Amino acid sequence: MAIVKSLSKVAAVIGIGESDYVGDHARVRAGERPHDSYGYAAIAFNKALKDAGIERDDIDGLIVGPTIAYERMGELLGINPTWGSQADAMLSVIEACMAIQTGMAEVVALVYGNDQRSAAIQYGGPEAMGGNMFLSYIYHAPWGFTSQGALYAMMFQRFMALTGCTEAQLGEVAVAQRLHASLNPHALMKKLITIEDYMASRYICEPLHLFDYCLINDGGVALIITSADYAKRNAKKKPVLIHGVGRYDANKGATSLEPRLLDFYRPAQERCAEQMFNMAGLGPKDIDAVQIYDSFSCHVPLALEGYGYCATGDVGRFMAEEGISLKGKLPVNTGGGHLSETYMQGWNHQVEAVRQVRGEGLGRQVENCRFVHYNSDVAGKAVSIIYGS
Amino acid sequence: MTYSKPLPQADDLLMQPFWEHARAHRLSIQRCDDCGDGHFPPSPVCPHCLSEEQTWEPVSGRGTLLSWVTFHRAYWGGFIPDLPYQCCLVRLAEGPLIVANFAGDKPAHLAEGLPVRAVFHEMTEHFTLPKFIVE
Ligand SMILES: [Zn+2]
Repeated sequence: MAIVKSLSKVAAVIGIGESDYVGDHARVRAGERPHDSYGYAAIAFNKALKDAGIERDDIDGLIVGPTIAYERMGELLGINPTWGSQADAMLSVIEACMAIQTGMAEVVALVYGNDQRSAAIQYGGPEAMGGNMFLSYIYHAPWGFTSQGALYAMMFQRFMALTGCTEAQLGEVAVAQRLHASLNPHALMKKLITIEDYMASRYICEPLHLFDYCLINDGGVALIITSADYAKRNAKKKPVLIHGVGRYDANKGATSLEPRLLDFYRPAQERCAEQMFNMAGLGPKDIDAVQIYDSFSCHVPLALEGYGYCATGDVGRFMAEEGISLKGKLPVNTGGGHLSETYMQGWNHQVEAVRQVRGEGLGRQVENCRFVHYNSDVAGKAVSIIYGS
Repeated sequence: MTYSKPLPQADDLLMQPFWEHARAHRLSIQRCDDCGDGHFPPSPVCPHCLSEEQTWEPVSGRGTLLSWVTFHRAYWGGFIPDLPYQCCLVRLAEGPLIVANFAGDKPAHLAEGLPVRAVFHEMTEHFTLPKFIVE
């Protein structure tokens, strides 16, 4: 495998913006539809622009998230870029670095908006979003195996059987992230929970409990990413550099769930980690906080083992004894993540990583936070980014 | 009474032989004529060697239990009366993995690696669903 080094410190995040998750959620729950996906994205974009201290017309690259149409978003924001793309949160950050490195664009806006709650988007059953793209839904529907959560429940059941990790140990994820959310003004779920509360909560797809599932809410996120050089000259705040990125996909056998059920995505995460840490010249010991894509809590233990933060087979003990909260050894999902902050499909994790490196974490700030690692394993794509000062 | 659970996708032509075999109470997988790779779900070309020549082959119906879950929430109305219901993941003796249900009530004892065997439930006049029992 080629070890890519050329994207390290090429680009930096200079602007972040989010819609008002808390206010909008209250309005949606009251039956209103405050904005559509484009509206949420546009509001986040305006905030990111202001945060960066640049003008709209400085932007020459545009990436929009998968939930909105590229051309329409560009029209709404009045941007005719020299380069553009459509991608999910993690890949859009990597694509922005690549576009900047190759000179296709210098100042890239990444915008995402999703009205999934007010539009009643379904992630399981007959109307499952993307079901026709993720065949495991369709193939297994006659047996009633028809939700995203079920795929992860099946995986975690086997993980418990093979490693001895327990439901109560998995509960550490929901408990820690709720603590973080309680310290985050942007978070939706702020009421503290205990392991006892977690164990007493109802199962959705056993062994996963209600607290293992992400929220479903509306919102938008935007990032402004530019060359390290441009960032140094023009950014209002301290630029947050992208020190390393990695990716490795496990597509073979995906519909029959082999990469998840047999390997727990481990080979993909290991190769992704190797690329990213080599590119950054860093290792797991250098990382001060980790953000992990948590549509379901069990992404967290798998990633902690896969990226080398604890020994193989030891993650249950690691989470319970060494700790993954701000009070523990390795703070994970310091903003509350998808479980307790907001479900922005990985976009909110990028914002939280930038805030922690900037020192804008308020009551949840990780002390002396130099490097934050983000990773996801959505649908077999192991993707990783290291943000740092 | 109408059947209210999801049926196999009628437009999924690749899977038709699987359901035809199931009606005859045979579990089947797709086998590559060139390299011999056995796979499920089916593929238009062999994922191992890219051959376009493949044949459906009945298999033993025997396998081992890899994992299982219990649904406490139904995503299709037709499954509401079954709640809570189980799904299992089985590695067939011939190699491929298949998601299915246990036949009958939830087995009293479940463990990774238990031997299982396919049985066939006629859900409608035209549709037979393979399920598994723990041996
Ligand atoms: Zn072949």
